[in-house]
Amino acid sequence: MKLNYRGCAICDSTWGDLREEVDGTRLFFCCSICAIQFRHLVERVKARTGWDRIDALEIAGDRRGRACVATRGDREFRFEIAFNSDGEVRRFRPAPAGVPG
Amino acid sequence: MVRCPACLLPLPKRGFQPLAEHLIARAGESDPDHVRWLNQNLSRSRIASEELVRRLEQYFDLGERSLGDWITRRFIAKFFGEVPHPFVLALQHPSRGTLLGYVLEHQHFLRQWVRSCAYIMARTDEPEVVRYELENLLVEFGTKDPAATAHYELLLRMGESLGVSRAEILATPPLPATRRAIAEWNRIATETDWVEAMAALHALELIAHRDLVREGATVHYFDPSILEGDTITPASRAFLREGYEADLEHASEALGLIERFARASGREEEVQATFLRSLDLFDDYLIARLERGEQFEA
Repeated sequence: MKLNYRGCAICDSTWGDLREEVDGTRLFFCCSICAIQFRHLVERVKARTGWDRIDALEIAGDRRGRACVATRGDREFRFEIAFNSDGEVRRFRPAPAGVPG
Repeated sequence: MVRCPACLLPLPKRGFQPLAEHLIARAGESDPDHVRWLNQNLSRSRIASEELVRRLEQYFDLGERSLGDWITRRFIAKFFGEVPHPFVLALQHPSRGTLLGYVLEHQHFLRQWVRSCAYIMARTDEPEVVRYELENLLVEFGTKDPAATAHYELLLRMGESLGVSRAEILATPPLPATRRAIAEWNRIATETDWVEAMAALHALELIAHRDLVREGATVHYFDPSILEGDTITPASRAFLREGYEADLEHASEALGLIERFARASGREEEVQATFLRSLDLFDDYLIARLERGEQFEA
Protein backbone atom coordinates (compact mmCIF):
# COMPACT_ATOMS: atom_id res chain seq x y z
CA MET A 1 0.00 0.00 0.00
CA LYS A 2 1.45 3.36 -1.04
CA LEU A 3 1.04 6.19 1.48
CA ASN A 4 1.62 9.92 1.29
CA TYR A 5 3.16 10.01 4.77
CA ARG A 6 6.72 9.01 5.66
CA GLY A 7 6.06 8.95 9.41
CA CYS A 8 3.03 7.40 11.11
CA ALA A 9 0.77 5.95 8.42
CA ILE A 10 -2.20 8.07 9.48
CA CYS A 11 -0.79 11.22 11.15
CA ASP A 12 2.80 11.47 9.84
CA SER A 13 4.28 11.84 13.32
CA THR A 14 7.75 10.37 13.75
CA TRP A 15 7.49 9.88 17.52
CA GLY A 16 6.78 6.38 18.78
CA ASP A 17 7.98 3.02 17.60
CA LEU A 18 5.09 0.77 16.65
CA ARG A 19 5.16 -1.48 13.58
CA GLU A 20 2.11 -3.42 12.51
CA GLU A 21 1.07 -5.26 9.40
CA VAL A 22 -2.08 -3.95 7.76
CA ASP A 23 -3.41 -5.46 4.55
CA GLY A 24 -0.12 -7.19 3.83
CA THR A 25 2.05 -4.09 4.37
CA ARG A 26 4.23 -3.54 7.44
CA LEU A 27 3.57 0.02 8.56
CA PHE A 28 4.95 2.45 11.11
CA PHE A 29 2.60 4.04 13.68
CA CYS A 30 3.40 6.57 16.38
CA CYS A 31 0.95 5.03 18.86
CA SER A 32 -1.64 2.31 19.30
CA ILE A 33 -4.55 4.72 18.74
CA CYS A 34 -3.22 5.63 15.29
CA ALA A 35 -2.82 1.93 14.45
CA ILE A 36 -6.44 1.27 15.45
CA GLN A 37 -7.65 4.28 13.44
CA PHE A 38 -5.77 3.12 10.36
CA ARG A 39 -7.13 -0.43 10.57
CA HIS A 40 -10.67 0.93 10.85
CA LEU A 41 -10.09 3.27 7.94
CA VAL A 42 -8.91 0.42 5.69
CA GLU A 43 -11.80 -1.84 6.77
CA ARG A 44 -14.36 0.88 6.06
CA VAL A 45 -12.96 1.67 2.62
CA LYS A 46 -12.87 -1.99 1.62
CA ALA A 47 -16.38 -2.59 2.92
CA ARG A 48 -17.71 0.47 1.12
CA THR A 49 -15.96 -0.07 -2.22
CA GLY A 50 -15.91 -3.85 -2.32
CA TRP A 51 -12.19 -3.73 -3.20
CA ASP A 52 -10.03 -6.66 -2.09
CA ARG A 53 -7.20 -4.30 -1.25
CA ILE A 54 -6.12 -0.64 -1.47
CA ASP A 55 -3.18 0.32 -3.67
CA ALA A 56 -2.64 3.83 -2.34
CA LEU A 57 -3.97 6.18 0.31
CA GLU A 58 -3.64 9.93 0.53
CA ILE A 59 -4.58 11.35 3.90
CA ALA A 60 -4.96 14.99 5.00
CA GLY A 61 -6.28 16.54 8.21
CA ASP A 62 -5.91 15.55 11.83
CA ARG A 63 -7.52 13.39 14.51
CA ARG A 64 -10.61 15.58 14.54
CA GLY A 65 -11.36 14.82 10.90
CA ARG A 66 -9.53 13.61 7.81
CA ALA A 67 -10.14 13.95 4.08
CA CYS A 68 -8.73 11.00 2.15
CA VAL A 69 -8.38 9.49 -1.32
CA ALA A 70 -8.05 5.72 -1.72
CA THR A 71 -7.12 4.18 -5.05
CA ARG A 72 -7.27 0.67 -6.47
CA GLY A 73 -6.04 0.36 -10.02
CA ASP A 74 -7.70 3.18 -11.93
CA ARG A 75 -10.53 3.51 -9.45
CA GLU A 76 -10.60 6.24 -6.82
CA PHE A 77 -12.68 6.73 -3.67
CA ARG A 78 -12.72 10.07 -1.85
CA PHE A 79 -14.03 10.14 1.68
CA GLU A 80 -14.07 11.88 5.04
CA ILE A 81 -13.44 10.06 8.27
CA ALA A 82 -13.38 11.07 11.94
CA PHE A 83 -12.63 9.03 15.03
CA ASN A 84 -13.41 9.09 18.72
CA SER A 85 -10.61 9.12 21.29
CA ASP A 86 -10.45 5.31 21.27
CA GLY A 87 -9.76 5.27 17.54
CA GLU A 88 -13.24 3.99 16.64
CA VAL A 89 -14.91 5.50 13.60
CA ARG A 90 -17.28 8.29 14.55
CA ARG A 91 -18.11 9.48 11.03
CA PHE A 92 -17.42 8.01 7.60
CA ARG A 93 -18.86 9.38 4.42
CA PRO A 94 -17.97 9.82 0.75
CA ALA A 95 -16.58 13.29 0.15
CA PRO A 96 -18.76 15.72 -1.73
CA ALA A 97 -17.60 16.17 -5.33
CA GLY A 98 -14.70 18.59 -5.68
CA VAL A 99 -13.29 18.07 -2.19
CA PRO A 100 -9.56 17.41 -2.42
CA GLY A 101 -8.15 14.48 -0.55
CA MET B 1 8.72 19.49 41.37
CA VAL B 2 7.14 19.75 37.93
CA ARG B 3 4.56 17.49 36.36
CA CYS B 4 4.21 15.72 33.06
CA PRO B 5 1.31 17.38 31.18
CA ALA B 6 0.43 14.03 29.58
CA CYS B 7 0.24 11.81 32.69
CA LEU B 8 0.75 14.15 35.70
CA LEU B 9 3.78 12.21 36.92
CA PRO B 10 5.71 14.40 39.40
CA LEU B 11 9.28 15.03 38.23
CA PRO B 12 12.27 16.69 39.89
CA LYS B 13 12.46 20.42 39.30
CA ARG B 14 15.75 20.73 37.43
CA GLY B 15 14.72 22.87 34.51
CA PHE B 16 12.90 20.90 31.83
CA GLN B 17 15.50 18.18 31.33
CA PRO B 18 13.70 15.53 33.45
CA LEU B 19 10.40 16.26 31.67
CA ALA B 20 12.06 16.06 28.24
CA GLU B 21 13.66 12.73 29.13
CA HIS B 22 10.37 11.39 30.45
CA LEU B 23 8.45 12.48 27.34
CA ILE B 24 11.04 10.94 25.02
CA ALA B 25 11.03 7.67 26.99
CA ARG B 26 7.23 7.35 27.07
CA ALA B 27 6.88 8.39 23.43
CA GLY B 28 9.51 5.79 22.59
CA GLU B 29 7.11 3.23 24.08
CA SER B 30 4.42 4.60 21.71
CA ASP B 31 2.24 5.71 24.62
CA PRO B 32 -0.74 7.50 23.03
CA ASP B 33 -1.10 10.28 25.63
CA HIS B 34 2.58 11.27 25.48
CA VAL B 35 2.86 11.02 21.70
CA ARG B 36 -0.32 13.06 21.36
CA TRP B 37 0.93 15.77 23.68
CA LEU B 38 4.19 16.08 21.77
CA ASN B 39 2.44 15.99 18.40
CA GLN B 40 -0.12 18.61 19.30
CA ASN B 41 1.99 20.97 21.35
CA LEU B 42 5.65 20.82 20.36
CA SER B 43 6.48 18.86 17.23
CA ARG B 44 5.17 16.04 15.05
CA SER B 45 8.75 15.12 14.25
CA ARG B 46 10.98 13.41 16.74
CA ILE B 47 13.49 15.92 18.13
CA ALA B 48 16.59 15.48 20.27
CA SER B 49 16.50 16.00 24.02
CA GLU B 50 18.31 19.36 23.99
CA GLU B 51 15.92 20.78 21.41
CA LEU B 52 12.95 19.41 23.32
CA VAL B 53 14.18 21.12 26.51
CA ARG B 54 14.42 24.39 24.59
CA ARG B 55 10.90 24.06 23.21
CA LEU B 56 9.48 23.12 26.61
CA GLU B 57 11.10 26.21 28.13
CA GLN B 58 9.50 28.37 25.46
CA TYR B 59 6.14 26.63 25.74
CA PHE B 60 5.87 27.04 29.52
CA ASP B 61 7.46 30.49 29.66
CA LEU B 62 4.97 33.07 30.90
CA GLY B 63 7.12 35.96 29.65
CA GLU B 64 5.43 39.24 30.40
CA ARG B 65 2.03 37.54 30.66
CA SER B 66 0.22 36.45 33.76
CA LEU B 67 -0.57 32.79 34.37
CA GLY B 68 -4.24 33.57 33.68
CA ASP B 69 -3.36 35.03 30.28
CA TRP B 70 -1.19 32.05 29.44
CA ILE B 71 -4.05 29.69 30.33
CA THR B 72 -6.52 31.72 28.27
CA ARG B 73 -4.20 31.79 25.26
CA ARG B 74 -3.67 28.01 25.38
CA PHE B 75 -7.38 27.44 25.77
CA ILE B 76 -8.22 29.59 22.76
CA ALA B 77 -5.56 27.84 20.64
CA LYS B 78 -7.01 24.44 21.50
CA PHE B 79 -10.72 25.07 21.09
CA PHE B 80 -11.20 28.36 19.24
CA GLY B 81 -8.29 28.48 16.79
CA GLU B 82 -8.41 28.77 13.03
CA VAL B 83 -10.25 25.47 12.94
CA PRO B 84 -12.43 25.43 16.07
CA HIS B 85 -13.14 22.21 17.92
CA PRO B 86 -15.76 20.09 16.07
CA PHE B 87 -18.18 20.32 18.98
CA VAL B 88 -17.93 24.11 18.97
CA LEU B 89 -18.65 24.10 15.23
CA ALA B 90 -21.65 21.83 15.75
CA LEU B 91 -22.96 24.03 18.57
CA GLN B 92 -22.97 27.20 16.46
CA HIS B 93 -26.43 26.21 15.16
CA PRO B 94 -27.03 22.94 16.97
CA SER B 95 -29.15 20.05 15.79
CA ARG B 96 -31.36 18.11 18.19
CA GLY B 97 -28.70 15.38 18.22
CA THR B 98 -25.91 17.80 19.20
CA LEU B 99 -27.98 19.15 22.10
CA LEU B 100 -28.95 15.66 23.24
CA GLY B 101 -25.32 14.60 23.09
CA TYR B 102 -24.60 17.59 25.30
CA VAL B 103 -27.29 16.57 27.81
CA LEU B 104 -26.48 12.88 28.02
CA GLU B 105 -22.75 13.29 28.55
CA HIS B 106 -22.81 16.57 30.46
CA GLN B 107 -24.99 15.23 33.27
CA HIS B 108 -22.00 13.04 34.22
CA PHE B 109 -19.56 15.91 33.80
CA LEU B 110 -21.62 18.14 36.11
CA ARG B 111 -21.85 15.47 38.79
CA GLN B 112 -18.04 15.19 38.74
CA TRP B 113 -17.78 18.98 38.64
CA VAL B 114 -19.44 19.45 42.00
CA ARG B 115 -17.48 16.52 43.45
CA SER B 116 -14.25 18.26 42.36
CA CYS B 117 -15.42 21.58 43.83
CA ALA B 118 -16.09 19.82 47.11
CA TYR B 119 -12.61 18.27 47.14
CA ILE B 120 -11.06 21.69 46.58
CA MET B 121 -13.09 23.11 49.46
CA ALA B 122 -12.07 20.22 51.68
CA ARG B 123 -8.39 20.65 50.88
CA THR B 124 -7.94 24.42 50.97
CA ASP B 125 -7.65 26.67 53.96
CA GLU B 126 -8.35 29.85 52.01
CA PRO B 127 -11.74 31.43 52.84
CA GLU B 128 -11.93 33.13 49.42
CA VAL B 129 -11.55 29.80 47.68
CA VAL B 130 -14.14 28.16 49.95
CA ARG B 131 -16.61 30.97 49.17
CA TYR B 132 -15.90 30.69 45.45
CA GLU B 133 -16.46 26.93 45.39
CA LEU B 134 -19.59 27.23 47.55
CA GLU B 135 -21.04 29.62 45.02
CA ASN B 136 -20.15 27.16 42.28
CA LEU B 137 -21.89 24.31 44.04
CA LEU B 138 -25.01 26.40 44.50
CA VAL B 139 -25.14 27.58 40.89
CA GLU B 140 -24.55 24.12 39.48
CA PHE B 141 -26.58 21.96 41.80
CA GLY B 142 -28.43 24.00 44.38
CA THR B 143 -30.13 27.33 44.04
CA LYS B 144 -28.51 30.41 45.47
CA ASP B 145 -31.51 32.46 44.49
CA PRO B 146 -34.83 30.72 45.26
CA ALA B 147 -36.20 32.08 41.98
CA ALA B 148 -33.28 30.65 39.98
CA THR B 149 -32.92 27.13 38.64
CA ALA B 150 -29.72 25.12 39.09
CA HIS B 151 -27.61 24.51 36.00
CA TYR B 152 -27.98 20.74 36.37
CA GLU B 153 -31.76 21.07 36.46
CA LEU B 154 -31.70 23.33 33.38
CA LEU B 155 -29.66 20.67 31.59
CA LEU B 156 -32.19 17.95 32.38
CA ARG B 157 -35.03 20.19 31.24
CA MET B 158 -33.22 20.79 27.96
CA GLY B 159 -33.07 17.03 27.44
CA GLU B 160 -36.78 16.64 28.22
CA SER B 161 -37.64 19.45 25.81
CA LEU B 162 -35.86 17.47 23.09
CA GLY B 163 -38.05 14.42 23.68
CA VAL B 164 -36.01 12.27 26.06
CA SER B 165 -37.50 11.58 29.47
CA ARG B 166 -35.68 12.48 32.65
CA ALA B 167 -35.65 8.82 33.66
CA GLU B 168 -34.01 7.86 30.37
CA ILE B 169 -31.43 10.63 30.64
CA LEU B 170 -30.47 9.66 34.17
CA ALA B 171 -30.27 5.97 33.27
CA THR B 172 -27.86 6.56 30.36
CA PRO B 173 -24.28 5.74 31.34
CA PRO B 174 -21.42 7.91 30.03
CA LEU B 175 -19.53 6.97 26.89
CA PRO B 176 -16.05 5.51 27.57
CA ALA B 177 -14.25 8.80 26.80
CA THR B 178 -16.47 10.69 29.25
CA ARG B 179 -15.98 8.00 31.87
CA ARG B 180 -12.20 8.14 31.46
CA ALA B 181 -12.10 11.94 31.58
CA ILE B 182 -14.24 12.01 34.71
CA ALA B 183 -12.00 9.44 36.43
CA GLU B 184 -8.96 11.55 35.57
CA TRP B 185 -10.59 14.78 36.80
CA ASN B 186 -11.43 12.94 40.00
CA ARG B 187 -7.78 11.88 40.33
CA ILE B 188 -6.69 15.48 39.80
CA ALA B 189 -9.12 16.68 42.48
CA THR B 190 -7.99 14.10 45.00
CA GLU B 191 -4.29 13.72 44.29
CA THR B 192 -2.90 17.05 43.08
CA ASP B 193 -2.64 20.26 45.04
CA TRP B 194 -5.95 22.14 45.30
CA VAL B 195 -4.62 25.05 43.21
CA GLU B 196 -3.86 22.62 40.38
CA ALA B 197 -7.31 21.10 40.77
CA MET B 198 -8.82 24.57 40.50
CA ALA B 199 -6.93 25.22 37.28
CA ALA B 200 -7.97 21.87 35.81
CA LEU B 201 -11.59 22.58 36.67
CA HIS B 202 -12.30 26.26 36.35
CA ALA B 203 -10.18 27.01 33.30
CA LEU B 204 -12.74 24.89 31.44
CA GLU B 205 -15.36 27.55 32.15
CA LEU B 206 -13.57 29.62 29.52
CA ILE B 207 -15.44 27.54 26.94
CA ALA B 208 -18.51 29.76 27.32
CA HIS B 209 -16.63 32.99 28.03
CA ARG B 210 -18.11 35.79 25.94
CA ASP B 211 -14.90 37.83 25.85
CA LEU B 212 -12.76 35.20 24.14
CA VAL B 213 -13.49 36.55 20.66
CA ARG B 214 -11.99 39.86 21.75
CA GLU B 215 -8.93 37.93 22.87
CA GLY B 216 -8.46 36.07 19.60
CA ALA B 217 -11.05 33.27 19.48
CA THR B 218 -12.39 32.80 15.95
CA VAL B 219 -15.95 32.06 17.13
CA HIS B 220 -18.07 32.05 20.29
CA TYR B 221 -19.05 28.76 21.95
CA PHE B 222 -22.30 29.06 20.00
CA ASP B 223 -23.77 31.68 17.75
CA PRO B 224 -25.47 34.03 20.24
CA SER B 225 -28.33 34.50 17.77
CA ILE B 226 -29.68 31.07 18.79
CA LEU B 227 -30.62 32.60 22.15
CA GLU B 228 -33.25 34.57 20.23
CA GLY B 229 -35.88 33.14 17.90
CA ASP B 230 -37.03 29.54 17.96
CA THR B 231 -34.37 27.48 16.22
CA ILE B 232 -33.84 25.61 19.49
CA THR B 233 -36.31 24.81 22.26
CA PRO B 234 -36.99 27.39 25.02
CA ALA B 235 -35.44 25.01 27.59
CA SER B 236 -32.31 24.76 25.43
CA ARG B 237 -32.13 28.54 25.25
CA ALA B 238 -32.52 28.74 29.03
CA PHE B 239 -29.68 26.28 29.60
CA LEU B 240 -27.28 27.89 27.14
CA ARG B 241 -28.13 31.41 28.30
CA GLU B 242 -27.39 30.49 31.92
CA GLY B 243 -23.89 29.27 31.03
CA TYR B 244 -23.28 32.16 28.67
CA GLU B 245 -24.10 34.72 31.32
CA ALA B 246 -22.83 32.96 34.44
CA ASP B 247 -19.44 31.80 33.26
CA LEU B 248 -18.11 35.23 32.30
CA GLU B 249 -17.22 36.60 35.72
CA HIS B 250 -16.86 33.12 37.18
CA ALA B 251 -13.96 32.07 34.97
CA SER B 252 -12.20 35.40 35.39
CA GLU B 253 -12.53 35.24 39.16
CA ALA B 254 -11.19 31.68 39.20
CA LEU B 255 -8.19 32.60 37.05
CA GLY B 256 -7.40 35.43 39.47
CA LEU B 257 -7.48 33.06 42.45
CA ILE B 258 -5.43 30.40 40.65
CA GLU B 259 -2.84 32.95 39.62
CA ARG B 260 -2.49 34.37 43.11
CA PHE B 261 -2.32 31.10 45.03
CA ALA B 262 -0.12 29.36 42.44
CA ARG B 263 2.41 32.16 42.75
CA ALA B 264 2.21 32.20 46.55
CA SER B 265 2.88 28.46 46.76
CA GLY B 266 5.47 28.39 43.95
CA ARG B 267 3.40 25.91 41.95
CA GLU B 268 2.95 27.76 38.67
CA GLU B 269 4.57 25.06 36.53
CA GLU B 270 2.54 22.30 38.18
CA VAL B 271 -0.61 24.34 37.59
CA GLN B 272 0.33 24.77 33.92
CA ALA B 273 0.90 21.04 33.48
CA THR B 274 -2.29 19.98 35.25
CA PHE B 275 -4.29 22.53 33.25
CA LEU B 276 -2.80 21.09 30.02
CA ARG B 277 -3.82 17.57 31.02
CA SER B 278 -7.33 18.84 31.66
CA LEU B 279 -7.40 20.44 28.19
CA ASP B 280 -6.77 17.07 26.53
CA LEU B 281 -9.42 15.43 28.69
CA PHE B 282 -11.90 18.15 27.78
CA ASP B 283 -11.07 17.74 24.08
CA ASP B 284 -11.90 14.02 24.26
CA TYR B 285 -14.99 14.71 26.34
CA LEU B 286 -16.35 17.21 23.79
CA ILE B 287 -15.83 14.60 21.06
CA ALA B 288 -17.83 12.18 23.22
CA ARG B 289 -20.71 14.70 23.27
CA LEU B 290 -20.62 14.74 19.47
CA GLU B 291 -20.41 10.97 19.27
CA ARG B 292 -23.45 10.63 21.53
CA GLY B 293 -25.32 13.20 19.50
CA GLU B 294 -24.57 11.36 16.27
CA GLN B 295 -26.44 8.35 17.68
CA PHE B 296 -29.59 10.42 17.39
CA GLU B 297 -28.87 11.43 13.83
CA ALA B 298 -28.06 8.03 12.32
